[in-house]
Amino acid sequence: MSLSKEQMVKLFTNLVRASHYDKMMYRRMMQGKLIGFYHPAEGAIAPGVGACTFLNKDDNLNPHHRGHGITHMLSKGIDVSTFLAEHTGKETGCCKGRSAWHFHYPDDKVYQQSGFIGHNFAPAVGWGHAAKVRGMGQVVMNCSGDGSYGEGRAHESMLMCQNWQLPVIFFCENNGMAIFSSAEEMHPTEDISSMAQAYGMPAVIVDGQDVFAVAEVAMAAIDRARKGKGPSFVECKTMRYNEHDIGTPDLKGWEARSEEEHAEMRKREPVALATERILADGILSQTEIEGIHEAALKEIEGVEDFADSSEISRPSEAELLADVFVD
Amino acid sequence: MRTITLIEAIKEAYQEEMRRDENVFMVGQDIRGAIFPHTKGLVEEFGPQRILDTPIAESGMYGVALGAAQEGMRPIVDFMFGGFSYVTFSECSVTTGQYHFLHGSPRSLPIVMTAGVGTGQRLANDHAMSIHGTFAHHPGIKVAMPSTPYDAKGMFKAAIRDNNPVMIPWHMGIMMLKGEVPDLDEDYVVPLGVADVKREGSDVTVMANSLQLQHALKVADKLEKEGISCEVIDPRSFVPFDLDTVLKSLEKTHRLVVVDEDWESGSFANTVSANVMEAGFDLLDAPVTRVTLPNMPIPGGYMEDYIAPNPEKIEAAIRKVLA
Repeated sequence: MSLSKEQMVKLFTNLVRASHYDKMMYRRMMQGKLIGFYHPAEGAIAPGVGACTFLNKDDNLNPHHRGHGITHMLSKGIDVSTFLAEHTGKETGCCKGRSAWHFHYPDDKVYQQSGFIGHNFAPAVGWGHAAKVRGMGQVVMNCSGDGSYGEGRAHESMLMCQNWQLPVIFFCENNGMAIFSSAEEMHPTEDISSMAQAYGMPAVIVDGQDVFAVAEVAMAAIDRARKGKGPSFVECKTMRYNEHDIGTPDLKGWEARSEEEHAEMRKREPVALATERILADGILSQTEIEGIHEAALKEIEGVEDFADSSEISRPSEAELLADVFVD
Repeated sequence: MRTITLIEAIKEAYQEEMRRDENVFMVGQDIRGAIFPHTKGLVEEFGPQRILDTPIAESGMYGVALGAAQEGMRPIVDFMFGGFSYVTFSECSVTTGQYHFLHGSPRSLPIVMTAGVGTGQRLANDHAMSIHGTFAHHPGIKVAMPSTPYDAKGMFKAAIRDNNPVMIPWHMGIMMLKGEVPDLDEDYVVPLGVADVKREGSDVTVMANSLQLQHALKVADKLEKEGISCEVIDPRSFVPFDLDTVLKSLEKTHRLVVVDEDWESGSFANTVSANVMEAGFDLLDAPVTRVTLPNMPIPGGYMEDYIAPNPEKIEAAIRKVLA
């Protein structure tokens, strides 16, 4: 599947937006303008953009937790202005300021985030089941990292999705690290996608630093699922430039990751790679590229203004208690 | 009115609600073949897509319900035995209970969870444990358990129609208990959150549920001959809990025995005891007395009989609170 010029521009634009959003979140965390924690996505923004840019509104999405899902959600076309408001405890937040870093965009079929890594695998079976039973052609983009595939739930989910031929894409963003633990140490095989073999599920490995390559693979998996051909596994080989979450030491095992490793990773920065390609192919000019960056920064300025000018959510305990159940 | 068993009453609730609403479906393990009779014959009527058997993979199985409920369907999850819910506890308790509240969302998860629970089968801890107290501890999930066929049908129907997640186990010790239920053409529900005075009395209030309610009623019959009048209250629901009915009874009896077939530590019996202390201390003429499982794993075989709440223990507690 080769990408059209229009598709490449869309991917590049979302990649630039994702990059600036991630940097904004990082900056605000360092400035003390974000509640809780932030797990930066830098180095690993291409998989989410490639996976989600061409999803439909009624396709289910579980975003990877890195970047708190922002790279995936903005690529799917979700209005994420309420995302920052939630991270700043405002009543205009996507969860009324109740959840800090969780998110919930049910109209766009992003239902939940959870601190339980691998939480996505169980409901993904249900999303796939609902899609199949209703026959409306939606697919499930089920993104999570290499670490999440240590969970037994991953296997239960692959077992059942393959058994019932559900339209679920197991989209593994393998950045090689889970907090301090490397995939190399914690998994017996080099490729997480080799697990798919046990379930008879087709799997493909792609360069996760190349947003265009990721998108081509993702579109093929989406197309396959939409046509009722069942689940598939996509493994993106990607990188984590920063520590697990801001403020945690950047260790591998119990020792600091080396300068050399960082320098090596930085050679394959996804925005730089995409820019190089898009210029080489003559898709966009340098001026047009600058325009895309400016527009993204302006968008983010608006999102920050919205969050900063919103009121802090201050319900009473009684009001909260009255909302544990629905009528 | 007809006379049917408790397990038949539950099955009728499934059938009627599945006929009424095509979004209702069941997911579990070996429910098509009916490992317990509440699902017997359902696959013939509703097909294998709505009576859905999964591999032995509780998280994936519960995930069918969780994801489908987020998509607007109304699943009933059968865990077979209550303790098996623990295999997927993060999903069925924490994630499910927080879903509506944490998201500030108008949406909740209309999931019904059920399972056989309780002592009496001598199957030991993992097959005999109660789960109502554990689920009641975690906010955001309604918890109820029926004690009669009438209540079973009405409460299961209410649970299926409820827009919140509901855990409603049934006690294996009263699976074949017979009782009157309305005729098939009569649609009724027993609302969740409403206790029921199963026997009126004036000397002591005994709160008990399911198998233990049957025990308490037997003890009440026996003590009546001695001139001791027991009021027996079935809470029916643990969340929401109808404390008012208990307090109203205490205005008359001033004495409370709470029977709870769960471990003493962290039990629902403790919650009731504390609630009554805080809201009805002046009504009490004696300390609240509890009959629970001792804090030990439930042994199997004959030894189960040595430790489980039973009529003798309930009678002893009543005599103690009256002494």
